[in-house]
Amino acid sequence: MGLKIEKTFQVQEPLEKVWAFLSDPRKVATCVPGAQITGQVDEKTYKGAIKVKVGPSVTDYNGEVQIVRLDAENHEIEILGKGQDVRGRGSASMRMTGKLRALDNGGTEVVSESEITVVGILAQMGSRVITEVSNIMFGEFTQNFQARLQQPSDAPQDQAGEAKAVDATSLAWEAAKGLFRGKSESGSSK
Amino acid sequence: MAKKQLVSVKVNGRQREAAVEPRLLLVHFIRESLQLTGTHIGCDTSHCGACTVVLNGKTVKSCTMFAVQADGAEILTVEGLMSAGGQLHALQEGFKQEHGLQCGFCTPGMLMSSYVLLHDNPNPSEEEIRRGISGNLCRCTGYQNIVGAVQYAAAKPTKADAKVAEGVAK
Amino acid sequence: MIHKTSPEIGGMGHSIKRKEDLRFIQGKGNYVDDVNLPGMVYGHLVRSPYAHARLKSINTEKAKALPGVLAVITGEDLAKANLAWMPTLSYDKQMVLATGKVLFQSQEVAFVVAEDRYTAADAAELVEVEYEELPVLVDPHKAMDADAPLLREDREQKNNHIFHWEVGDRQATEEVFQKAAVKASVHAFFPRCHPAPLETCGCVADFSRATGRLTVYLTSQAPHAHRTVFALVGGIPENNIRVISPDIGGGFGNKVPVYPGYVCAIVASLTLGVPVKWIETRSENLQSTGFARDYHMTAEIAADRDGKMKALRVKTLADHGAFNAAAQPTKFPAGLFSICTGSYEYPQAFCEVDGVYTNKAPGGIAYRCSFRVTEAAYLIERAVDVLALDLKMDPAELRRKNFIPAEKFPYKSSLGWTYDSGNYEAAMDLALDKIGYKELRKEQAEKRKKGELMGIGISSFTEIVGAGPAHTFDILGIKMFDSCEIRIHPTGKAMARMGTKSQGQGHETTYAQIVAQELGIPAADVTIEEGDTDTAPYGLGTYASRSTPTSGAATAIAARKIRDKAKKIAAYLLECNENDLEWEPGKFFVKGAPSKSKTIQEIAFAAYTNIPPGLEAGLEAVDYYDPPNLTFPFGTYVCVVDIDQGTGEVKVRRFMAVDDCGNIINPMIVEGQIHGGLTEGLAIAFMQQIDYDESGNIQGGSFQDYLLPTAVETPHWETDKTCTPSPHHPFGAKGVGESPNVGSPAAFVNAVVDALSHLGVKHIDMPITPWKVWKVLQEKGVAA
Repeated sequence: MGLKIEKTFQVQEPLEKVWAFLSDPRKVATCVPGAQITGQVDEKTYKGAIKVKVGPSVTDYNGEVQIVRLDAENHEIEILGKGQDVRGRGSASMRMTGKLRALDNGGTEVVSESEITVVGILAQMGSRVITEVSNIMFGEFTQNFQARLQQPSDAPQDQAGEAKAVDATSLAWEAAKGLFRGKSESGSSK
Repeated sequence: MAKKQLVSVKVNGRQREAAVEPRLLLVHFIRESLQLTGTHIGCDTSHCGACTVVLNGKTVKSCTMFAVQADGAEILTVEGLMSAGGQLHALQEGFKQEHGLQCGFCTPGMLMSSYVLLHDNPNPSEEEIRRGISGNLCRCTGYQNIVGAVQYAAAKPTKADAKVAEGVAK
Repeated sequence: MIHKTSPEIGGMGHSIKRKEDLRFIQGKGNYVDDVNLPGMVYGHLVRSPYAHARLKSINTEKAKALPGVLAVITGEDLAKANLAWMPTLSYDKQMVLATGKVLFQSQEVAFVVAEDRYTAADAAELVEVEYEELPVLVDPHKAMDADAPLLREDREQKNNHIFHWEVGDRQATEEVFQKAAVKASVHAFFPRCHPAPLETCGCVADFSRATGRLTVYLTSQAPHAHRTVFALVGGIPENNIRVISPDIGGGFGNKVPVYPGYVCAIVASLTLGVPVKWIETRSENLQSTGFARDYHMTAEIAADRDGKMKALRVKTLADHGAFNAAAQPTKFPAGLFSICTGSYEYPQAFCEVDGVYTNKAPGGIAYRCSFRVTEAAYLIERAVDVLALDLKMDPAELRRKNFIPAEKFPYKSSLGWTYDSGNYEAAMDLALDKIGYKELRKEQAEKRKKGELMGIGISSFTEIVGAGPAHTFDILGIKMFDSCEIRIHPTGKAMARMGTKSQGQGHETTYAQIVAQELGIPAADVTIEEGDTDTAPYGLGTYASRSTPTSGAATAIAARKIRDKAKKIAAYLLECNENDLEWEPGKFFVKGAPSKSKTIQEIAFAAYTNIPPGLEAGLEAVDYYDPPNLTFPFGTYVCVVDIDQGTGEVKVRRFMAVDDCGNIINPMIVEGQIHGGLTEGLAIAFMQQIDYDESGNIQGGSFQDYLLPTAVETPHWETDKTCTPSPHHPFGAKGVGESPNVGSPAAFVNAVVDALSHLGVKHIDMPITPWKVWKVLQEKGVAA
């Protein structure tokens, strides 16, 4: 199941601050609901984990996040995240590019494009569930992103703690409501 | 394992009870705890209706209820359609006369849905019948003779006398 | 000429009510999941989420530790007993539980046995499997590419090619095409679909340490064949295995293969010494059991300008999934696909089929059709319609021009089949007349002027059923005869058993009617039993519309053997010569002195109480029938559709089905079969597909996505018949249960294409969803 999701959002913070945050996977991970960085393999590669709960079933994905491309001049980043369900019920991977652009009002625009591939039990539910769940996770991400950016920089952000599982049941409920509301954000699926 | 709970129901006129896990589905309660295997399981997404029973007068897909939710209810299953003296219900008669079944797997669910349909609407049109059984899937009959069977039962008082049963009647 | 018996006897042609209904309408059927044995435990399968991956490790410790769990079996465990792989019905082999790698999503990886089914499901969740993903192959067209991933490392041949099969004269056909004035072609995909009988597959395997016997209650359309397979695969003496197919909730071919779940349950029962029940869920059924079709077909017709067809050329790519688990007669890897010449005369024809492996569920089975016959019928009926379009000819007239004429039967097609009998024009004329074809074409012309879309689709199919003669047909080496054993009791009642197995076809009634026809014993007095391998004579089971042609024939022949003996007894009782006797259903009487007679009941009584000297006591017979040929039922279906230009929805306004299956045993039962098969065809044409995305994730793995029509979507079916008996069958019957699924997809598709043909549309692949039609309407500028 391959999906493409495009999101654009704005933060009221200067470009360089946003760039510094975005190019640090440890910091970015704190914004992704249910995710944590659990270790570092080398300069560009980190170990990560994410917990997703759909109804009574919890899926733990363990995997790697790799910075494929870091272009400080043009403020573009490309990361590749891949994970396998620890109980062997599937896998997921995401290739995401993020581009920053300074805005006239001193803020920054973030344009992201993600390609998500899901294999396994979750994929059988079809793209409609995955798209909506991804949309909602991204919504939470951007909220967290903005909030964290505004925090003082020495706040304990990258603690590896017990990541709260993303409760996809409530996400799915949001998704169901969303289907009737009509899509308000851009997103396309293959 | 969660502590078992006592579920008490009236099934086909008889009081029955059993101690069950809270997560036990009503259909498993009926089929295994009560050993009434006429109610069938045909899917795992609540689509097929093979598990349809009548609960407090309404049709219910028993695969989508927990047994504990049925505590205190009155349930009618296909085994309860026949009279105590062994006389077939008009619907059962209709399914046989009109060839409304082939493999028989959807039949109990169809009977229970039709039972409530006719109770609520004693003289349904063909369209109303089709809509009334649209929660019950059948792979063998193409539904046409099932519609005929329900129509037979709806007209039963007049049919019983006039019909000359051809061939094998038991 | 079949003499009709009285309604009291209820022989052929009577629509007597079904005897089996009594238990079903009371909810007292005995399906496999209704079987409850003392001490019974439950099995649950752990399945692969990946379409193609190496199996790195399986950790069963947590699962085994759960209270109530009795065993967790893996492929490694089975391998020790040489059971990790089992043979398929196509001389391939299939993993019972994965070893080394997995090859399709939902493939069986481990089997958990626990005291109740909930605990078994819990434990299955605790089994931890580590996979290493491998590149996935889901496009059969890429299976033979140089860089295609190799799926079957277990084979000597290191590629994804399974077989190449061809029939006909390639060269001569090519020559005709070279010279042809007109050439029409169509590429028609018959999507992967699934029979989805309402009852899923399952078994209760019961090995008794007390008797040393293994009893398997099994959803099986072929219990004897399965018993033999279990004996060969498991090394258990065949006399110690009893397979019982009790009531089966629909088969449609889905219950012909041997599934890993059965083998695991048997192994578990042998190991634990208790009955083990395994019943799959609907999702498991759709995702891992025998799928159907998945044929990518191209047909080309060479013809004269006046529409006379000269040659047919067919090329097909068959997608078999991960294992070739197709149920086919040995010599026919593509089944009876070479019936693709259909109802028409082709002086030359050539057909080739290539089968390949992909990372999908294994198969395919014959879904309510004779082997691959639906694919063939669909292809030729689509191709003929395309030719009609190209020639601007009426599709009915083009067919009429090319039908094999009635007087040419038995007819040998250029692909080698000898059609037993047929009268295609009569069937088509009846259908056209009843649907009001001429008026419909007028209406269509009027509607087109107004920009409205309606279509008329014709399908004049011929199918080939009743496999089959021993000289050509076998499955895994077992010849495809079938059998019947009849025993008449002293009081004139009878019991008969057959080697077939009904899954809703009404055998308890129809076979009784055959006995009634032949012996004059009322059908009500004849008990029919099937499905218990301890008591029923050996047979190859019920699928591919073969029961009436094979076991039905055996029943008639066995009854006639009984009648021969009855005649001797009658002669003895009447103190006359056998040659002085005449028969009418139910009695022998002396020629010219009809009051001197003995009923079959009196004869039966005498067989036990007043036995003629030199004759054995009793009145029974057995017959194993080797059909001399297959039978060729046929028909014409006409479908009328209206297209909603706003939504793309296709509404079936009318559907007229004229079927010819020769002499009919029970018209009511035949009509019910037609209704059911047409409904399946409707679903295939408009609603259903088992598809896979590029990662091998199954789409359509539950009833949420794999749609079955309800009573609301299903139209009212109109049926009629012609009767062209089979010259070689004992009572001229042909079999008909599957004709509607064979003939109808083309009728539906031809109707939709016909509605849009004036806009330049020549073909739309199934399933023809509203979305597909809507896109065409948009493209052609006729959307509302």
